[in-house]
Amino acid sequence: MTDEPLLEVADLKKYFPVNAGVFGRHVADVKAVDGVSFSVRKGETLGLVGESGSGKTTIGRMVLKLLPATSGTIRFEGRDISDISARQTRELRRRMQIIFQDPYGSLNPRMTIGEIVSEPLAIHGIARGKARMERTVELLRLVGLQSSHLNRYPNEFSGGQRQRVGIARALAVEPQFIVCDEPVSALDVSIQAQVLNLLEDLRERLGLTYLFISHDLSVVRHISTRVAVLYLGKIFEIAERSALYEHPLHPYTQALLAAIPVPDPALQGTQKRVLLSGDVPTAIAPPSGCRFHPRCPFAFDRCSVDEPAMREVAVGHSVACHAVENGTIR
Amino acid sequence: MALLEVRNLRTTFKTEDGTITAVNGLSFSLDAGQTLGIVGESGSGKSVTSLSIMRLIDRPGRIESGEIFFDGRDLLKLRDEEMRHVRGHRIAMIFQDPMTSLNPVLTIGEQIAEVVRLHLGRNHREARETAIEMLRKVRIPSPEKRVDDYPHQFSGGMRQRAMIAMALSCNPQLLIADEPTTALDVTIQAQVLELMNELQRETGAAIILITHDLGVVAETCKDVLVMYGGNMAEYGDAKQIFNEPRMPYTQGLLASLPRLDAPANARLKPIPGQPPNLHRMPPGCAFAPRCTYRLERCDTPVPVTDLGNGHLARCWRCTEALVPVGAAQ
Repeated sequence: MTDEPLLEVADLKKYFPVNAGVFGRHVADVKAVDGVSFSVRKGETLGLVGESGSGKTTIGRMVLKLLPATSGTIRFEGRDISDISARQTRELRRRMQIIFQDPYGSLNPRMTIGEIVSEPLAIHGIARGKARMERTVELLRLVGLQSSHLNRYPNEFSGGQRQRVGIARALAVEPQFIVCDEPVSALDVSIQAQVLNLLEDLRERLGLTYLFISHDLSVVRHISTRVAVLYLGKIFEIAERSALYEHPLHPYTQALLAAIPVPDPALQGTQKRVLLSGDVPTAIAPPSGCRFHPRCPFAFDRCSVDEPAMREVAVGHSVACHAVENGTIR
Repeated sequence: MALLEVRNLRTTFKTEDGTITAVNGLSFSLDAGQTLGIVGESGSGKSVTSLSIMRLIDRPGRIESGEIFFDGRDLLKLRDEEMRHVRGHRIAMIFQDPMTSLNPVLTIGEQIAEVVRLHLGRNHREARETAIEMLRKVRIPSPEKRVDDYPHQFSGGMRQRAMIAMALSCNPQLLIADEPTTALDVTIQAQVLELMNELQRETGAAIILITHDLGVVAETCKDVLVMYGGNMAEYGDAKQIFNEPRMPYTQGLLASLPRLDAPANARLKPIPGQPPNLHRMPPGCAFAPRCTYRLERCDTPVPVTDLGNGHLARCWRCTEALVPVGAAQ
């Protein structure tokens, strides 16, 4: 791993317009992503955690140019890719790929496994004829499937095996960077571990860089080098994995970690539980000031007025919180 | 006497490729006021078990055999009309997805009131008051107003709390919650679980909590039933299951979890292979094809072994100190 950032995102925003009335008047915006900055170094895995509506999937799609950004810049390998042409975007897809959450919905049921995995090779003109077939078999082996699976259809496979097919398809173009969007959330517990181990092995063998999106903090802790915590379209805290999990500073990160049920009855009652009251507010009209303040146990006057900026509190550990800034939380 | 006793339950489904047995001879019991967690992966039969108890299995499904004693009566022998009186009144159910299990064109209040009118014979005004009271109990803010909201005006967490309000409105003796928090965010999940615990203490209802999340079970359940391939793999109290599991599947499941209290760099230990295909079940232990301790006799039907203190395991080798087959001695 080097310090050279492979991906740099600055002040990225995505507003989805809300239209109403017979003339489809623009009445408001859903601020799905509202000014997010982060970078991903070569060879590392940046975990993006957040609850539903935090904007994590939208960020992943914008980075891959599957969704246009409202504003902000995205730099990949030092080059600004915010405004590139469709042709350049297609070129870019050879270097950045995605693995989707739903192994059932993301594979065409009428295509064989071989067709699915070899399609990117055809689209990008990477290999043809016998070479394409050989490469396809090689890809299947890489993800733990066999050449005998080539002519089978997705419905003959279990969830875990389908996710392996999705991974093989993403790897076909030999990308450097992969957005993993909740890749194990739809899988059974005993299969999750298989796929997580595979993703780790592949990162090591092929020198991949991941942006790993998940709502599951245990999974993110396991696979990430660094972790960013999102809430309603904003990053609240970003740090090296150990710092974030062992010394979380933002009250939201603390509450999130405390809310995870631990599979050990002996530990019940030993950990103090910070129960957050209330629901996640809507991204159409996020609360004023810090958007977490209505649910925050540490909130004071300033929090409902001023939006806190990201501040580096230790090397590589940044937090956006007034209570951290004035020393209430340390 | 147990409040619920399931004996040798067998539920099958007819499919184009032949009949599959979703639940295959399951037996367990639950005392009044207790919480039982049923854990299992997809296809383990956990949801079909709960639907069988509610007698909500419809064609092509069929409860082939078995007995389900609830409060001394075999539910499978009740007439449809008698069963309707049990359902929603004595046994209530909460489903995973509160959006699809609430009626979108009726207000939340009307849906709760309907249950109360039907089962407790209250008139309109009383039923509406009960609905408001129940919404207050599950901590919906300003329930007098929100009672007239439609489901889409509620957030996911609020909808699930409304479902709980509806389920508990007739004071059931048994509440079956099928993945009640799976669709919710963790911070909301914590609220809902806390609420269920609190309401149980208050009403004394027994709960069957069906989930794939072992953490949720460890936090809320006294007893745990681990299911695999349509039957019990292991049964015991939470300590026995989480700290002294005897069935290799339970052990493997616990070992495969990424845990917050484990070293972050530790490699995960997955269970090899795939979950069983119900069309092609192994002749003996359903877990045998994935088990590292498999012996020849594992391919013959396995009885349940009583390990004492209520701890049961369906495994030929559950009393041994296990060594993986083929491992160096």
